[in-house]
Parts: sequence; C-alpha cells; structure tokens
Amino acid sequence: MLNRTREKINDGVYLNVINTDKFKTELISFYLILPLDKNEVTSNTLVPLILKRGTKKYKTSLDIERRLEELYGSDMSVSVAKKGEKHAIRFSIEGPLEDFVSSDEILKNKLEVLKEVIYNPLLEGDGFNKNYVTQEEKNLKDRISSRINDKKQHAVTRCIEEMCKDEAYSIYKFGYIEDLDNITSTSLYKHYLDILKKARIEISIVSNVDNNMIKEMIKGFFPFNERKSLTLKREKVVFENIEEKIVQEEMNINQGKLTLGYRTNIPYEDELYSAFLVGNYILGGGPDSKLFINVREKESLAYYIYSKAYKYKSLMLISAGIEFDKYENALRIIKEQVLSMKRGEFEEKNIEQSKRAIITSIKTVGDDTFSISEFYLSKVLSGDDKDIDELIDSINKVNKEDIIAAMNKIMLDTVYFLKNQ
Amino acid sequence: MDNISTIKNENLKEESFLHVLENGLKVYFVPKKGFTKKYAVFATNYGSNDNVFVPIGEKDPITVPEGIAHFLEHKLFEEKEGNIFNRFSELGSYVNAYTNFNQTAYLFSCTDKFYENLELLVSFVQSPYFTDENVNKEKGIIAQEIKMYEDNPSWKVFFNCLRGMYQNHPVRIDIAGTVDSISHIDKETLYKCYNTFYHPSNMALFIVGDINFEKAIKIVDDTIKRDRNNDIQEIDRQYPIEPKEINDRYIEENLSVSTPLFNIGFKDYDIGYDGDKLVKKEIMTNLLLDMLFGAGTKFYEEMYESGIINNSFGAQFIASKTYSHSIIGGQSDNPKEVAKKIIENITNLKEKGLDEEDFIRIKNKMIGHHIMNFDSLEYIANSFIKYTFNNTTLLNYLNILKDIKFEDIENRFKTHFTKDNYTLSVIKPN
Repeated sequence: MLNRTREKINDGVYLNVINTDKFKTELISFYLILPLDKNEVTSNTLVPLILKRGTKKYKTSLDIERRLEELYGSDMSVSVAKKGEKHAIRFSIEGPLEDFVSSDEILKNKLEVLKEVIYNPLLEGDGFNKNYVTQEEKNLKDRISSRINDKKQHAVTRCIEEMCKDEAYSIYKFGYIEDLDNITSTSLYKHYLDILKKARIEISIVSNVDNNMIKEMIKGFFPFNERKSLTLKREKVVFENIEEKIVQEEMNINQGKLTLGYRTNIPYEDELYSAFLVGNYILGGGPDSKLFINVREKESLAYYIYSKAYKYKSLMLISAGIEFDKYENALRIIKEQVLSMKRGEFEEKNIEQSKRAIITSIKTVGDDTFSISEFYLSKVLSGDDKDIDELIDSINKVNKEDIIAAMNKIMLDTVYFLKNQ
Repeated sequence: MDNISTIKNENLKEESFLHVLENGLKVYFVPKKGFTKKYAVFATNYGSNDNVFVPIGEKDPITVPEGIAHFLEHKLFEEKEGNIFNRFSELGSYVNAYTNFNQTAYLFSCTDKFYENLELLVSFVQSPYFTDENVNKEKGIIAQEIKMYEDNPSWKVFFNCLRGMYQNHPVRIDIAGTVDSISHIDKETLYKCYNTFYHPSNMALFIVGDINFEKAIKIVDDTIKRDRNNDIQEIDRQYPIEPKEINDRYIEENLSVSTPLFNIGFKDYDIGYDGDKLVKKEIMTNLLLDMLFGAGTKFYEEMYESGIINNSFGAQFIASKTYSHSIIGGQSDNPKEVAKKIIENITNLKEKGLDEEDFIRIKNKMIGHHIMNFDSLEYIANSFIKYTFNNTTLLNYLNILKDIKFEDIENRFKTHFTKDNYTLSVIKPN
C-alpha cells in the first residue's frame, strides 16, 4: 500500500509526498493546472518550451543538459495535457537515488535544476529571451502541424473536436498556429507570471525521503509569492437529445481509421461510474472483448479495435483500423455490439474477467513512479479520496443490473471516418 | 535447490538466477521485492531474419515466406479449444507477444495467480494448432496490421533506411512481411518452422517479480513436453553474404506528413561476434553517438538554434551478431542538409579529437540510465531475453560500461563512421 501525505503549503499550492523504498529512482513533478481556454492554450504550451531553453544560471539548453548529465542522466521533461476541461502543464525531473550513485545531495541538486527552470527564466528586457521565443514558436508550429502524422490518434482527436464543437473539450491541447502570431516575448512572460499566480499548483514527490525534510526543501526552493488561486470548474457531462453526426474526411492513407464517439452521461461522481468501466471493458477492453472477438477474430475486419473511457468528460470512444470499403460492415457490427451490451447479452464470466483486468491495472499503479504521480493528480482533480483498496472494492461491487443500467445511458454522438482520397 | 546458478551485481543491488532443464531450456529469474506486478516471458531465438534454414530432420535448406515468424506468433494463440486470450483473462492477467528480427516472445503480466499463469504460458506456446481455416482467417487480420504500419511514417522511414543499408541481409525485410508474401503461408510450413525453432533448447524463459523461483521451476518442469526429442541440435540458419557497401545512398518516399522525417543509417562492418564483446561494442557506440550528436553537444545546440532540427532528433546503435548499424533520426525541413552537417561534424571531430570531459559526463549519464531502467519489470524482462540470446547477460552491462575507457571510444570512432557507409532515408509530405 502506498504511503502518501498531502499538505497545503500556500494558497492553492499542495505538496504530495509518496514515500516508498522499492525504486532506484525518484521523481519530482510540478503541475500547473488551469482552465482549458482557447485564448490561453497556445501560450500555455509555449511557456514550458521556452523555460527549458535557459535560466539565469543555466543560460542555454546545453548548460541544462550538461548539468543533468552530471546528475547521472537525470531526466527533465515538460508536457501539457488535457485533463477534462483543464490544462495541466507538467515539469518533472527523475533520476537515480543517492544510494545507487556516488553523488551526495543528488535530490537537492535535482530540485535546484527544477527551480531554476520554473522560477528563474532567462529574461531580456521585460520579456523572455527573444531568440528562444522565435525558435520555439517555429517548433510549436511544426508540432501542431504534425498532428496528422499519427493517423490513429488524429482520427480520435478529430472525432472529439467534432463531437464537442461548442465545448471547451474540443480545444486542441497544443493550441493553434494562428494564435502564435500574436504572442511576443513580453506578452508571453506576462502570461507566465499570471499563470504562476493563479494556477492550481500540485507538487508530487515519489521517493524514499523523510517527509519533513522534503517539505522544508520545497518551501525553501520555490517562492510562492502573490498567489491568487483560481477555482476550477467541473465539466458539463450530461446531455439529452443527442443527434447522431457523421463526419468523413479524406487523406492520402492506406487504411481507414474509424472512430465512434459516445456520450456516457455518467459523471465520475455517479454510483454507476464503476459499472460503466466494467461495461466498457466487456465491450472493448481487451482481446476477449465483444468488439475484438466480433470485429477482429470472427470477421477479420481489423487488426486493432478497442473502446476507451474518458473519465473527466464522460466520453467513450471506439477506434478501429479497417479497409475503406468495409466501413458500413464494421460500423454495423460495432453498433450491434453496443446494442447487445444495452440488452444485457453478456455473461457473469465476462463481468468477472473484466473486473479482474481492471483491478489488476489499479493494483499495479504503485509499480511505477510516474503512474503514482499521475494517479494522485487524477484523484485531486476529481476530488475523489478513495484509496486503492476502496477503488478495488467499488469495482468488485458492480453487478449485471448496474452494467445494463450504465450502458443504457450511453448515446452515440459522432461517427468519424478518415478515408483515402 | 541444486543446479541454480547466480549472478550478482552489487552496484545495482540486483541478482539473477538460472536453472537449466534437462531438455536444454534455460529458466531465469530476477527477484523484485515489493512489486505487485509479476512478469514472465517465454521466448524463442527465432525472428524475421531466420528465413532460410534446414528444417529439423531434413537435409536441405528451405526459404520460407517473409513474415512467417510473426504469422506463427499470431497463430500460437489459437488452441483446439479456442482462443488462449480467454484463459488468461479468467486469471485477470494480461497476455501479449511480439516478434522482432531475432526473437519471438510470449509474455504475461499479472498480480495474482502467478503460477497458474506460468503454467498456461508454458503450455500454450508448446501447443501449436494450425488448420487451413484458421491460417486463412489470420491473413485478413495481419493484412490490416501491415496496412496500419504502412500509415506509420516513423516505421516507413526506418525500414526504408534498412533497405538502403543492406543489399542481401534479411534485416531489410519487413517483420510482418507483405500482404502478398503472407498469402503464401500454409499450415505445413508453419509446422516446419515451429518444430525447428520452438525446441526448448532454442528457447528461454524469464521471470521477474516477487515470487518463489523453486516453485516456478517445478511448474515449468512439470509442464514442459516430455515427448519432444531431447537431443539438442544446433539449428542450421543460413544468411546470405552481405557486402560491406551500402545498397542505396538515398531513399525517398511520400506520405501524409507535415514535415519531412529522416533516418540516417551508418552500416557497421565490424560484425560476426556476440557475447560481452558485442555488449561492449553496443555501449561504446551509443556513448559515442551521444558524444557526437546528443543534446549536450555544441553540434546539437547549433543545429537546434538554426531550426534545422527539433527535439525529435536522436541517435541509437543497434547491435546484433550478423548486422549492426547506427541510426540518427528526426524531423527536418531539410534532411539533406542535416546529413551534410552530420558528416561535417564527424570529419571535424576526427581531425580535432574527442573531448574526454564529454566522455566522463555521458558515461555517468549512461550509468544512471541503466540503474533507472531497473525500475521497470518490462525493461528487465525484455532486455534480459535479448542479452541471453546474444550469449551474455544483462547483469554484465554495468561492469562492462564502467570498464570502458576514453581510448576505446576513440578507436571505435575511427572505424564506425565514414563518408561512404551511410544511407539517408526521407519521408516527404505528399
């Protein structure tokens, strides 16, 4: 069982310490959580890219990189992610524990690099370094354009964009090329100062250190001045009267990518949520799921087919790669399988197997530092304080009736098909 | 228990245990106390490269259709009683398999009922069940898998690069074959491949997690088939002669991508050996690549600042007994210019000499990375299998790395990169 303590250390700033001695590495993650806002998403994505370019002490990426190499290849990574209608900017540093390398104070040294990157950026006048901003704007532009490269992911992203057209959830996590033109080094730095003030800050540490020591270190390293934390809003997730949409797009490709987007209408706070997770698994969770057996094994229509739950926004997406001319056939079989779930055409055995698979994945969260960090973040964001045993218990309690009730709430919203030109 | 040998690495605080069964099957174990997950891999030293061989009990070599090792991997999941996935699901575990150039591996991960899972793994891999009907059915599924890869630009740019480097070696063939090549696969050829390469003496079983090894050995020993010929025979695999020269200097293809992708492959001709010597070459070359092109080099900084590369830029050396190469890849608006700069950098540094301080930093980094990798059961298992089939052990890696000297790197630099031994593969937007 994981030993975790959580403490508020400033207005909207929380420190989560997960103490464990089974790893050879330690991980520190610093999350800035903001509302997902079309006007800010591009700037939010650009900021960590600039910060990684240089600090007052480590003026270039090269200086930072060489420092990390000295710290036995500690890895500093940044990312932005969509957590429902929230935008999470993450800065992490991960590296070997002191016991495994001949280096004193390696934790302190890792924290120092992280602090430099977040709180001590290289400035020029009243903004970020102009060269860095220009270069990273180009890199981000390329990154955004390259969203078409991964066709499977692209079909999923496009389906969500069409499905949630008028909601914040449709916003692309890396932002928009047209918004890059209006960002200057000054406006971006101002935006960053604003983020540092208003974002919810979650810091998590997965290591084998003393809680008090790490708390004092963090407080000493990170200056949380002028905080005025925003309240984060819960997403709208329940919809009535959904009209089914069909969207088809063309690209020069070899295999059609089909995605069906469903509204589950079951918030994660709802008692039926665990039943929905089990139902989703029976439908398309693994190689013994209805979709896998009927679309792949029986009909040889696809190599990959699965259904995935999107917790914060209560969506369920089914994805498959198929021959272009098998669209109607695949769509019909997939819809039939969803319908059979609603009619309760599954056995006690399917329920038990799906529960076990879900429970296995919950249990193994504690075997990986990054999963641990993300697991606790998701609990914080969803205001759910169930520990691992309680979560397992809630899955175990699910019965067939609940699953049928949950599956009868889901509604098909958008069918998206990416086909050849 | 008798007959268990141990290798310890004090720095890593890890150890591995080995027990060899009568029929030659090697069973390995690395304990991981405190981990919930348990993981086992049952693998055969047989991959997409083994396309020409003498079938067991025969005299003459045969050439089998491209992609058959991967096809066989798919088909082993089918039993007379139905699909094996279901049985693992009943145990709440996750089962999967993969085929690469040199190995086919079957694996599961679980939290409970480890020994039942282990028994199931060992028994299903030993129970081939091929019929005309189930072989034909699989062709449609694998055709979709092949098409999925055809839409994957990183995969395409890599395989085009291999085809540019190699003239004859089967590493230039797609692992899954082509829609046409797999159409020629039948159950008779599948059985021939199976009987030749799935003999226990050509296989290894690796277990990692918080479990009791002696109990596991007993399960494996009881489950392993007794009716198979226990004579351990060397398999006659035949590889064509591969010239030192590359096949093509430049290969280009168009796909739906936003920016061009490139792979620059340097073909290695210092080949023909495995064991610790191969591991040393692998580590030296990766260390060298990082000293030449890594994010901590002036070269990377200048290229990045000029905008010709972005953070997708990276390099890796792939080491195997019969082929080896370095691949440097990424995205760029101008891949030809990137290749030119890479060659210039190599030429410059060959004149100027490498910097020993860079060597020390990168060596520390690699030590750290290796230690960090031991937090992942998947990494331990899959790397362990790879090193075992290369006649060495993963637990030697750290000591070999620590013993590498700056002079070793300087010598390696002289031979591996030349102006003539590279291929540039590019995927352009269409």
